[in-house]
Amino acid sequence: MIDEKLIAKITAEVLRRLNAAGTPISSGTGTVSRRLQAGDGVLPDLTAPESKAEITLEHMVNRDLMEQMKRKTPARIGIGSAGPRMNTRTYLTLRADHAGARDAVFRDVDEALLREMGLFTVQSLCTSRNEHPTRPDLGRQLSEDTRRELRSKCQMNPQVQVYAADGLSSQAVDMNLRDILPALMDGLQDYGISTGTPFFMRFGRVPAMDAVSEYLGAEVTCVLLGERPGLATANSMSAYIAYKAAVGMTEARRTVVSNIHSGGIPAVEAGAHIAGLLKTILERKQSGVDLQL
Amino acid sequence: MILKTKLAGRVYEFRSVKEVMAKANELKSGDVLAGLAAGSDSERVAAKEVLSNLLMSDLRNSPAVAYEKDDVTRMDQDGVDSAAYDRIKNWTVGEFREWLLSYDATEAAIKEIRKGLTAEMIAGAAKLMSSMDLVYAASKMRVESTCNTTAGRRGTFSTRLQPNHPTDDVEGITASLFEGLSYGSGDMLIGLNPVNDSSASCGEILRRFDEVKNRWQIPTQICVLAHITTQMEAVRRGAPTDMIFQSIAGSQKGNEAFGFTTDTVREAQVLLKERGTAKGPNVMYFETGQGSELSSDSHFGTDQVTMEARCYAYAKQFDPFMVNTVVGFIGPEYLYDSKQVLRAGLEDHFMGKLTGIPMGCDCCYTNHMQADQNDLEILTLMLGAAGCNYVIGVPASDDVMLNYQSNAYQDAAAVREILGLHPIREFEQWLERVGIMENGKLTSLAGDPTIFTERRGGLG
Amino acid sequence: MDTSMLSVGIDIGTSTTSMVVSRLHVRNTASCFTVPRVAITGTEIVYRGEIYQTPQTGGNRIDADAVASLLEEEYRRAGITPEQVQTGAVIITGESSRKENAALVTERMSRLAGEFVVAAAGPDLESIIAAKGAGTARYSEELGCSAANFDVGGGTTNIAVFRGGQLEDKGCWDVGGRLIRVEKGRISYVSPRAALAAQDAGVFLRVGGPAEPESLRKVTDRMAEVLCEAVGLVPETPLCRTVETGEATPMHLKCPVDCVSFSGGVADYVYHPSTDWFRHGDIGPLLADSIRRSALFTARKVIPVLETIRATVVGAGSYTTTVSGSTIDCVREDLLPLKNLPVLVPGKETETEAGLGRGGALAEEARWFLQESAADNTVFCLKRFRSPDYRKVCALADALAEAAGALSPGAPLLVLTEQDYAKALGQALRRRVKDRPVVCIDGVRAEEGDYLDLGRPLMGGMVLPVVVKTLIFGK
Repeated sequence: MIDEKLIAKITAEVLRRLNAAGTPISSGTGTVSRRLQAGDGVLPDLTAPESKAEITLEHMVNRDLMEQMKRKTPARIGIGSAGPRMNTRTYLTLRADHAGARDAVFRDVDEALLREMGLFTVQSLCTSRNEHPTRPDLGRQLSEDTRRELRSKCQMNPQVQVYAADGLSSQAVDMNLRDILPALMDGLQDYGISTGTPFFMRFGRVPAMDAVSEYLGAEVTCVLLGERPGLATANSMSAYIAYKAAVGMTEARRTVVSNIHSGGIPAVEAGAHIAGLLKTILERKQSGVDLQL
Repeated sequence: MILKTKLAGRVYEFRSVKEVMAKANELKSGDVLAGLAAGSDSERVAAKEVLSNLLMSDLRNSPAVAYEKDDVTRMDQDGVDSAAYDRIKNWTVGEFREWLLSYDATEAAIKEIRKGLTAEMIAGAAKLMSSMDLVYAASKMRVESTCNTTAGRRGTFSTRLQPNHPTDDVEGITASLFEGLSYGSGDMLIGLNPVNDSSASCGEILRRFDEVKNRWQIPTQICVLAHITTQMEAVRRGAPTDMIFQSIAGSQKGNEAFGFTTDTVREAQVLLKERGTAKGPNVMYFETGQGSELSSDSHFGTDQVTMEARCYAYAKQFDPFMVNTVVGFIGPEYLYDSKQVLRAGLEDHFMGKLTGIPMGCDCCYTNHMQADQNDLEILTLMLGAAGCNYVIGVPASDDVMLNYQSNAYQDAAAVREILGLHPIREFEQWLERVGIMENGKLTSLAGDPTIFTERRGGLG
Repeated sequence: MDTSMLSVGIDIGTSTTSMVVSRLHVRNTASCFTVPRVAITGTEIVYRGEIYQTPQTGGNRIDADAVASLLEEEYRRAGITPEQVQTGAVIITGESSRKENAALVTERMSRLAGEFVVAAAGPDLESIIAAKGAGTARYSEELGCSAANFDVGGGTTNIAVFRGGQLEDKGCWDVGGRLIRVEKGRISYVSPRAALAAQDAGVFLRVGGPAEPESLRKVTDRMAEVLCEAVGLVPETPLCRTVETGEATPMHLKCPVDCVSFSGGVADYVYHPSTDWFRHGDIGPLLADSIRRSALFTARKVIPVLETIRATVVGAGSYTTTVSGSTIDCVREDLLPLKNLPVLVPGKETETEAGLGRGGALAEEARWFLQESAADNTVFCLKRFRSPDYRKVCALADALAEAAGALSPGAPLLVLTEQDYAKALGQALRRRVKDRPVVCIDGVRAEEGDYLDLGRPLMGGMVLPVVVKTLIFGK
């Protein structure tokens, strides 16, 4: 009963404050104060972090607390509404982020980057960008020609084979590879671990690493792969690692390091972390759920 | 049993009921991936024609997975009421569809017939229905369930508030939770998908939910959707929960791939009876989704609609408070685009209701499929019209943990107004007391999470 | 994966000394699919010691030997040995916080040290940890308000203002319950600062003179008013700055205060008034009464506290330790713990140079810094690079390797980066620096003038416990 009274008291207080502040109790739409300020004749970028950090809710009981809540979660809160629906800015920001995420899926990795990193390219059995999302079965297989190419170009039987794949975000590869790959390879070298020849796999899915591992006779295989984009970022990469990966093995044997991007674990730091992790996996001769760290 | 038909002069012959069932499905990329889909539109319609002439008994006698090696099949078959079954066993599937759509099929009549159905019969009927058939037939059926409050009453449209956070930060979760409550979301459940599947973390979040629920006297339910064994461990260590959740599949093998058995679920029920915080009797929560069996290779050559119907038959065994399909989450390899997601959402809701479970839907899509927010909103509105028990609510539709889009808090609010629906009565009264809702509409206080800022007494 | 640390907090104040033992729970809060993220997830007080009169030898000097034996007895009662203690802080507070006192106690405390990282703190840190121990910092966070905690002790009042959980400002005033003492109805002691307050209030106080509540109240009223002035509730008078504690950073509050809370020995009488004015032989209850009548109490919301007299010691035991980021580079565990390491924050230009791979300026700065601070070693603290790419990390490693030449031969190279790249930088450093060990950590914020204690690694070397000591002994 005390709580009922409290609720009533708070409600009354909230209403009192709203009135006292001279703010009309109506969900006013499109007030001038909420309009974006354009600089140099260009509207500000809706997807920029500072734009997203803005509170677009018009009236609130406690602005300090609202700001604090927004700092504690990347969720889109404090956004306000138009009647029961989203206001224009929130809706368009959402659409802009979605468009960005989709573009990241349906495009190729930058060729210049692959040249710069000295990586040659192979392809899974998938034949097109559109087929790729719907045929994970093809994305995990390699043709006989590809196997021959791998064997001819790669160092055989390395302790660790590292390669990159587009997975579901080419953009993630573009954004992270330049930092994660050298940090990882240098780290492995420091530990005195022999590494195979890195390469890039187009239309590659995670289990393709099992085939790669078998063909190249790698003790540990590590693929750096673009993750399915979210709205928050389309740049997230994961590393999937397995000790003596083999076609048909259970998923439980993979060790995963996810959320590699500038807003998660930065690629540079991830490379260093994974180098240490690979060393542990080599020492323990196991990966996945068996590897209790 | 006739497995052959002629269409526009061409003869189509099927080898088994299972093949007919698969090819009678509307096009789904998952059935294509499994190598089960019809090769052409004509073959699809031919299969529908053959299916419509099969007897209900033919479907009962062809379970997707053999009785001997699958407890889902066993429970479903053993649960059939023979009197009810005798009334329909000689109907064709086409006749069953017509009966469901007829004025003879009142809510009470369907309730009686339901006892004689198996998952395969229910799936068969869905395969012969159009979108509006699925909505219309479903709209006749209401399934109520009671945990702390009673959901599913005619005229209600509820939401599960899903305040997910990418690192399970309790304060961040609470911020999203308050935001959701301020939009009138959460009458079905306050339920979080955790990143971290540990009982300590699960317990910590449950304690916060419990604190908020009690502090504000919110008539609702709470749950953290960790793995079933993790939740049980948390409860044993004293964590307060109203419900226990698990993702389920349509075969024993699929459930084992999810890391649990039927005994685990029974054990969870017993545990909740002793140590749960809800009065019940319905204390389980299940999620499903077309294609999950194929992804764990536990589909036994069966199409994904039939496997999905079997999930519902399994769920029914445990008298859940809520069940929903996470319809567009699994990805384009199972549901390619919005057309397929829309179809699956309507099928799933219809099949769940016909099974007799309190069916809701997570209307959602991922960024690598051909769908967007417009498609999701269409599905939501159609499900509202179909009488769906609940949908999900996340901040501005963007789930920052699961990286997919579901319904925004604003969606249920609009659907309620458009269709004249309400939250669960006690919850609506609570919203009115706190000042968020008035005469079925949100007030100007709606959307301000800072109205819930006092946790120690008195305004700060 | 869960672990815990035993932490000891010790508060040696002008009038009282106390100790608490806390258990800090440490957990990897990340899922098994991401890089670990270890955090302190909770604290519980496992031993709450008695409040003792601080033994003194006269002349305001602490009897360090007596304090040490008193604490040894407390360890025994708590059922812990020095070896079990992994972290914590000794806070030497109030008027007694003079350099020689601190040095004396720190020296004697080494008997009790074990893994324990002994630290002495000035008034700034004390203000902050009292507000944390009182629960005021957390309150401001939960309610999104600004809240000032007044830790009113025997000799000083430490003020910390938190807004939305973040420190807004801190300060210390020579306002306390034992600045004037009373024995058998007569005034037995008047501290110089109390005399100033009395003078300002137009009251003449004389040691040996009669202790009259009416006249003493005028003095305590004036003291309470000074506290109101300190947080801007009433216009500032010259007395306010005169009785501001010398060692503390002057406080100039910019935001209005919504709520106030009180901790320290006098706080009990603020929340539970008593009219037995001289029950402790001092002006504590009178000062509390004056505070109750002041604008602090009447014009602001007074919020409850979790601790009153033990706020500082609980703060010292439970809130001084943080953990580093969870991807760090520390191969040589035997180097730790390391205590009282001064932080070197390179100048802007020096850091920019270092980012280009040139370490000359950094080496120069380090040489000068070590000489100035008379310290054996330092922690290079890199604050400016947001998310350096791999090329930048290698350049920084080149520069730091060069700057390491300024350290004494064989001394470990210690690096702290504010952003998350310590493991990459550490690996790059070990590739370059072969003649000394390297410890490279991140995720801790430290400023120029701070000192760091690095504890032994936790959770299989994933993280180090770190105590950041802000402005030891004042400025």
